[in-house]
Amino acid sequence: MIRRLRRSLVRVGAMASKETTHVLRDPRMLYLALVMPVVMLFLFGYGISIDLDRIPLGVADQDRTEASRALVHTLTESGELTVAADTTPEGADRLFRRGDAAAVLVVPQQYGERLARRERVALQLLVDGSDVTSANQVLSKVDALVRAETRRLAGASVAQAQVPLTVKVWTRYNPAGRSAIFMVPGLAAFIIALTAVLLTTLTVAGEWERGSMEQLFASPVGRLEIVLGKLIPYLVLGLLELLLVVAFGASVFDVPVRGAPVLVLLVGFFFVVGMLGQGLLVSVITKNQLVATQAGLLSALLPSLLLSGMVFPIENMPVPLQLLSRVIPARYMVHALREILLKGNGLAVLWPDLVAVIAFAAAVIALSTLRFQRRLA
Amino acid sequence: MAAGPTPDGGAAPAAVAARGLARRFGPVTALDGLSFEVARGELFGLVGPDGAGKTTAIRALAGLVRLDGGEARVLGVRAGARELRERLGLMPQQYSLYRDLTVEENLRFFSRLYVLPRAVYRERVARLLAITRLERFTDRRADALSGGMYKKLALACALLHEPEVLLLDEPTNGVDPVSRRELWALLGEFVHGGMTVLVSTPYMDEAERCTRVALVHRGRALLQGEPSALIAQFQDEAYEVHGGDRDLLDARLAALPPVREASPAGARLKVVVARGARDEVAAALAPLGATLAPAAPDFEDLFLSSIRRAS
Repeated sequence: MIRRLRRSLVRVGAMASKETTHVLRDPRMLYLALVMPVVMLFLFGYGISIDLDRIPLGVADQDRTEASRALVHTLTESGELTVAADTTPEGADRLFRRGDAAAVLVVPQQYGERLARRERVALQLLVDGSDVTSANQVLSKVDALVRAETRRLAGASVAQAQVPLTVKVWTRYNPAGRSAIFMVPGLAAFIIALTAVLLTTLTVAGEWERGSMEQLFASPVGRLEIVLGKLIPYLVLGLLELLLVVAFGASVFDVPVRGAPVLVLLVGFFFVVGMLGQGLLVSVITKNQLVATQAGLLSALLPSLLLSGMVFPIENMPVPLQLLSRVIPARYMVHALREILLKGNGLAVLWPDLVAVIAFAAAVIALSTLRFQRRLA
Repeated sequence: MAAGPTPDGGAAPAAVAARGLARRFGPVTALDGLSFEVARGELFGLVGPDGAGKTTAIRALAGLVRLDGGEARVLGVRAGARELRERLGLMPQQYSLYRDLTVEENLRFFSRLYVLPRAVYRERVARLLAITRLERFTDRRADALSGGMYKKLALACALLHEPEVLLLDEPTNGVDPVSRRELWALLGEFVHGGMTVLVSTPYMDEAERCTRVALVHRGRALLQGEPSALIAQFQDEAYEVHGGDRDLLDARLAALPPVREASPAGARLKVVVARGARDEVAAALAPLGATLAPAAPDFEDLFLSSIRRAS
């Protein structure tokens, strides 16, 4: 028994060291594992950044008093909104069509007068709804700023009793509301998912195509030994990649690392095994590098991008998609990375994610070993 | 019902036993009830043209293809069983080593799959490199080897674990004549050392070097036996054609039913005709100014006429 295990380990070691030699001699693999992820992190990190700055705002000031000018000043003080044009309510459409303004604020006549008489005044905000993301941001920003102006006016004139309930919003973990902090952990999981699947897809399909599977299958090496031997070098590469991506996220995008880095490695270990296993499964079934790359890419890209909660919150999805997202390992990795990096949470919170990635890894390894037919035809 | 292992008391099982091997690939029938047996210590040839089913047969014996029917056993064990893989060597026809690894790295990789102790590995590699004359090329990548050197490396990889049975699929395909002769000399030595060797080849001169052969055509064995005995049992007669215009002769011969085969032999034409049909053929050729002279049938004549008869 022990002798069989030892012989088995020798064979796994032989596969692993052979595979390592392949990787070291093929710069494309190293590029795929170590350069591409960093490039992707940069592109996505800056590209998907949904923070709007200097939003162009049209102002239709029909009052033109000191009070109305003070309102506009408050709105544009921080630089998040800038006055793009002085216009009229009728001119708003033209601004929107030319893309010169994301919103137009209409200040009614007698604004200053009615404020002075302590009447309620309704401001009007016209928003270009064709870009939903910008529209939402404008709405929330103007809303916050107007509330601040209301408080200022109320404080100056009346007692606070006029506003019996106020909400003081204090955003924890990401006080500046920077989307990079939210995006980078998700991106890290997404990038790892993508490259890990590609790495193993290429290697197994390559053996089929180069004909080496024939000699391999004629030898005593077992299917599980082949699978494990192929996993080990890419697992090391995948973990290196994970560290690299998190390190770049922390240094370039100022993503905090509040939890224990070892937890990132722990969850990451099983996540990488799972994604490598998914690549193995794809190439065991397709046996062809071209088909395997396409299938592998799709099987990793779409779910990890759309169903992982990286961009779109899972709670907002239709129920069938929510259920589907439960078998997507990236979902758990995205969640775990946010919990560890942003909130500094430990295993007490992370254990369901850990269990999920372990279960996925075990399932795909078992499945690819079973589907691995020791046959050429 | 699958036969169990042969009882120890009985005769030792054949080194290789193929019984009614059948396999179709879509519309193509690769194996159509192929049967043959190889005794221990034989150098057995699976001879046939391209597409006869030789590669599929060898892969079936290595457990690499699923069979639609029949049974393949090696050393009394079902083909493909794990314990058998330790005792079997395979040299595939296609490139199946790692091209980006060097000669030595390929050898070391396969030795580790067979879990050879380091000392044993060193001793065997030294010997194999010496007999294949690859010692000077250990650092060369496999993709930089010539066809002949590559085949010798593949042979060395298949021999590292000193298999009891060695299967070779067209080992001399794409190999220069000198390396071809060397390879066959090596096979002779292995058999002398007690190994059982099964080799497939499309070349008739190679077939004659085997202890026994099976002539394979369209997935079945047409003839089996020792090459010399098969020739002795030759039912047809072979003649050389003297004189006459070649083109006219070819056209005339093709129209004569008793002529099994006409093939160029050097400057002359060699014909195989049905036994007793000599006078008929001679009479037909006389108007063209050609005569028949008796010739010794060789393996190629035998092979071509058997195929003609089978079709």
